[in-house]
Amino acid sequence: MTDGSVAGSSGPAHASGLAIETTALTKRFGRQTVVDDLALSVPRGSVFGFLGPNGSGKTTTIRMLLGLSQASDGEISVLGERMPQKLGSVLPRVGALIEGPGFYPFLSGSANLRRLDSADGFAPSGTRSARVSRALDRVGLGHAADKKVRAYSLGMKQRLGIANALLAPRDLIVLDEPTNGLDPQGTREVRSLIRSLADEGTSVFVSSHLLAEIEQMCTHAAVMRAGKLVAQGTLDELRSAGTTRVVVTTPDADAAAQVLRTLGLDPGHPDAPGPAVAASLPESVAPEDIVAALVAAGVRVRGFAVDHASLEDLFVALTGEGFDVVQ
Amino acid sequence: MSSSDSTAAGLDARRTTRSLGAGFFASELAVLFRRRRTWAMLLALAAVPILIAVAVRLSSSGSSGRGPAFIDSITQNGLFVGIAGLTIAIPLFLPLTVGVVAGDSIAGEANTATLRYLLVSPVGRIRLLVVKYLAAAVFCLAATLTLSIAGILIGIALFPVGPATLLSGDTVSIGDSLVRSLLIALYATVSLLGLSAIGLFISTLTDAPVGAMAATVVLSIVAQVLDSLSQTEWLHPWLFSHYWLDFADLLRQPIEWSSFGQNALLQLGYVVVFGALAYGRFSSKDILS
Amino acid sequence: MPRTWHRWIPAAAAPVVVGAVVLGGVFATSASADPAEKTPQQVLELAASSTVDTFSGTIEQSSNLGLPDVSGLSGSTGSSGSDSSDSSDLSSALELLTASRTLRVYIDGPTQSRVQILDDMAERDAIRNGDDLWLYDSSDSTAVHSTLPADASTAPDASAESVTPAELATRFLDAVDPSTDVTIGDPVTVAGRSAYDLILSPDSSTTLVSSVEIAVDADTGLPLSVDVFAQGSSDAAFHVAFTSLSLDTPSADLFDFTPPAGTDVTEKALPNRDDAPADGSATPDAGTHPEPTVTGTGWDTIVELPAGTDPSSLTDSPMLSQLTTSVDGGHVLQTTLLTVLITDDGRVLAGAVPVESLQAAAGK
Repeated sequence: MTDGSVAGSSGPAHASGLAIETTALTKRFGRQTVVDDLALSVPRGSVFGFLGPNGSGKTTTIRMLLGLSQASDGEISVLGERMPQKLGSVLPRVGALIEGPGFYPFLSGSANLRRLDSADGFAPSGTRSARVSRALDRVGLGHAADKKVRAYSLGMKQRLGIANALLAPRDLIVLDEPTNGLDPQGTREVRSLIRSLADEGTSVFVSSHLLAEIEQMCTHAAVMRAGKLVAQGTLDELRSAGTTRVVVTTPDADAAAQVLRTLGLDPGHPDAPGPAVAASLPESVAPEDIVAALVAAGVRVRGFAVDHASLEDLFVALTGEGFDVVQ
Repeated sequence: MSSSDSTAAGLDARRTTRSLGAGFFASELAVLFRRRRTWAMLLALAAVPILIAVAVRLSSSGSSGRGPAFIDSITQNGLFVGIAGLTIAIPLFLPLTVGVVAGDSIAGEANTATLRYLLVSPVGRIRLLVVKYLAAAVFCLAATLTLSIAGILIGIALFPVGPATLLSGDTVSIGDSLVRSLLIALYATVSLLGLSAIGLFISTLTDAPVGAMAATVVLSIVAQVLDSLSQTEWLHPWLFSHYWLDFADLLRQPIEWSSFGQNALLQLGYVVVFGALAYGRFSSKDILS
Repeated sequence: MPRTWHRWIPAAAAPVVVGAVVLGGVFATSASADPAEKTPQQVLELAASSTVDTFSGTIEQSSNLGLPDVSGLSGSTGSSGSDSSDSSDLSSALELLTASRTLRVYIDGPTQSRVQILDDMAERDAIRNGDDLWLYDSSDSTAVHSTLPADASTAPDASAESVTPAELATRFLDAVDPSTDVTIGDPVTVAGRSAYDLILSPDSSTTLVSSVEIAVDADTGLPLSVDVFAQGSSDAAFHVAFTSLSLDTPSADLFDFTPPAGTDVTEKALPNRDDAPADGSATPDAGTHPEPTVTGTGWDTIVELPAGTDPSSLTDSPMLSQLTTSVDGGHVLQTTLLTVLITDDGRVLAGAVPVESLQAAAGK
């Protein structure tokens, strides 16, 4: 399913296995650079998480991918074709939910979908109603098909937006913050929907500012910060990019630190006051050797752990912490 | 492609060629005429001749000697109520409603965030502009016909109906005068095409539909004010409102077609110029709404 | 990054295309074949021999006499119901002098004609059908009917010919005398027809007229337009021209006029005068006018009306007092083309001459 590591690849990839590829993609609004030198590589068949805090340029990137917004610089190819030059032949194969749903409040859910379906010049009108009700059923809105969208809840509108993305057979689905406004049940449904799409072979590009969401459903991810791509690859690659740590729980902290230093580790100062010493683990040192050395030195080891850094830690390390929207 | 499973194969069949957009045009008309706002505007327009007829009927003093001669002549022939209504509505009410529809065309979609979904469907930007413009033109026709027909109906109800007197003093049959009423509605429709193109262009400039509507209506008023100032006489033949009231030439015997032709040519010029401007603005506009 | 400047190409091209269509139309019509070369004398003869008496067309007439625009003023006076015929005559005269207007004429032989003055939302018609003469005004639904005397083949025809360029041109051409230089300009196109441009220039230093240009139809000799230029101005002070012309016989229905129901019809007897001037007035009440005297010749001709009306009634009229200035011996109405002197004793002198000439004539 995955094509292996694609991080850092930037060669020409027309007709390659990439659903989305950008090179040096840049967007400036006046003097402000919102997306800076972006090189995305989204393999076909992947569920690709596009992660970043609010304001990091995710939506702007998606708008450029879909031809809504013009790139200031750089190149985009979607499904192997240049965008926006081939927009007319590419977009019918792409379903999208962009920065929240948008519908005519005075029309019913199904009337809204019929209108958007009629806007697609390749969609035959004869099967329109059947396609619309299939898409509505798929997102669980069959019962509300004839209700005015005005009366929809935020979650229902979000589902309707996803239904619009599913109107026709798609090779790529772009979902911008798809679980916004959904309750936990709805979130779970969206997650399983994305999985089933992926099982059918559709590439899915999901943006989110929530790491947990991406971790649960994606095979690949990219992390944005302040308009720049700071990491990209399979989830395993991303995880391994973080350092592995050893944590020794012991009342003899100083002695333990001394042992670690002799093995070439750098325990630094304990994270928290307490009976624990931590240090990052270089590949040259085997964890079992550390335990042996500690025991040999008479350190009373009450606990020993090898910690792979969580994506959470990585995300925080890459994008900064707190609520500040990145400038 | 690989995603279609066997049960959905029929539904997922795709056209091999892109449709011209007749389906989308029908959808656009359905959206336009399913809005309560559209019906409210048409009802308001229908109320214009009805109010005139009722007021004239109630005052029933016959010829007042003031105002357009049409107002007087409706007491003699109810068929003129529609024309009298158009005369009253052309300077303000019709541009107002057309300004709402044309000004809303793109900006309204941007405002409801439906614009980006239409564009990624993908509707095609030029096709969207053309369909929006055609829908506005259909509204112009619906507006003038509503006004004319409401006027004729209320005229038949409240006043005597018979052969009608033209401006030239000639008398024509009921059938002929109905044909001329329709021609005048058509003339008023053509008159509004230039304003519709201006409204479409303004609508591509902003995401605020109310602003685009107001700007379009204000422009129609400015054009009429300029048209009435002798200081700007050199400009008059180029103002889109210049021939608006010359539909009276259709009430002469024989019909004077020159103003119809000049008006149509002028409106066509506005459509070409402002259509091109709208294309220039919209074809590569960043859709950020 | 090269922005997509080419998206503006249509917007830049549109005005050019529109302009090209507009101007192209002009060029296309002006590109019609030039008529064969003719001497001024030949063109004069062509005009004199013109026998066109059946045609229909649209006529554009405008004046630029340097008068203030009194259309609003005269309009309000005209419709305020003041029944003084002087006042309405005055306002229609002023309308002729200051406003531009469009007329349609339908003429079938000497006895059938119809003239329509196309007003905004209204129309004034003058129809002659054999012996019947109708004047109809749609703005107040009134009609005046007169019957021409049976023998009046040359009766005053207050309608058709008097408003066409042909009528005016004939008067100028009749007046061509040794005091007039006649030359030919470049061929012109009027109402889509190619025409000779006859230029009459007064050989006089005292007239206000600088030149008169008459477009004579190359095919038929029918004068198609007349432009009168005043001294010191490049814009025509008076312009009358066909904008469209058809030599087909107009539909006979047009001359068959029955006043519509609800019309105020007035029967009016015509004055039985053989020498009544066809003065172009749409209201033939010439019978009450005193006999004018004519002094001077050619372009310097001065017409004098003896004291008839009370001068104060004229000069007290708010419209006239706005237009006239007080001079030695009376009030003068000065236009670029025509000077009118109303003397203190009530005489009216008019001519295409400076006011000094009128004062001199009045003093005689």
